[in-house]
Amino acid sequence: MEKPFNPFSLEGKVIVISGAASGIARQCAINCSKMGAKLILLDLNEEGLKETMTMVERPEEHYWASVNLLDYEKVGGIVKEAVEKVGRINGLLNCAGISTTNLFKLTKPEELDKFFHVNVYTGYFLAQECTKMGNLSKEGGSIVFFSSVAGSFGEVGKSTYGMTKAALLNLAKHLACEMARKNVRVNSISPGAICTPINMNLPHMKDPEKRAALEAQHLLGLGETSDIANACIYLLSDASRWVTGTNLFVDGGFSVR
Amino acid sequence: MEKFIELFAEALEREGEIKMEDEFRNYDEWSSIAYLSVIAMMDEEYDVQIEEAEFKKLRTVQAVYDACTNK
Repeated sequence: MEKPFNPFSLEGKVIVISGAASGIARQCAINCSKMGAKLILLDLNEEGLKETMTMVERPEEHYWASVNLLDYEKVGGIVKEAVEKVGRINGLLNCAGISTTNLFKLTKPEELDKFFHVNVYTGYFLAQECTKMGNLSKEGGSIVFFSSVAGSFGEVGKSTYGMTKAALLNLAKHLACEMARKNVRVNSISPGAICTPINMNLPHMKDPEKRAALEAQHLLGLGETSDIANACIYLLSDASRWVTGTNLFVDGGFSVR
Repeated sequence: MEKFIELFAEALEREGEIKMEDEFRNYDEWSSIAYLSVIAMMDEEYDVQIEEAEFKKLRTVQAVYDACTNK
């Protein structure tokens, strides 16, 4: 029997997801597994990864490793091992990252260093490992960098975080040029405010007044983790085969105004 | 020589066979990026800095190897 039309299928694709121990990245792992992908899940948080593994479909097909993504040499070895076990890589979701709210006048150089290392360098070098000869699928692949609306729009106290997210927007464009010859597409995604367990406990969502103000900024209200995960499925799948070097706002209308 | 072929393959990101007599510009993998990668490999691994005009004269893998090893 002919398979039903599904350009979003990830069947047979190997997808690497960083930061998969929680939040949006965990949802990406769950949804990608439902679409048939084999996963390589990376995070520093081993307990969280184990929990994610109980939520994905066909856990026996996937690979996971607890690793500090700043340990570039170790990451290289883990990616190689994962490819040997699961297969060559077709896609990468660079979700791992940290957020903060800090004032410009109080920000110290070491804080900027930390944010650029965690939010930019780790994704940069993980992408480098994943696209190395022998690790990348011969058919090419799709890389998605997790930016944010803060990478394109200004907000008080978000200069540090926003700069790192803007860097990823730019990185995706340049890598799209450099990787096209290998049939690797490179895009970024810019989520608006998402209700993740971590966010729900932060003042901007926990405090009813602040939450109402945040909701008012998003025409469709606050987002859910699956809103982002499903957009990632599009960018990873063959449905987006002619899409590269672009940024996809998934923000409930935040960027309209 | 084996090490050189490994480095050359990595620079070109070529998984297929590489023979010393091959004219590397005929490889599917040959591109402006591959050129930059080979130049970088020659510099980093063999401490050889080669001008574009000089490199253009090199036709075979053997010629690149000679340029790397006959300083």
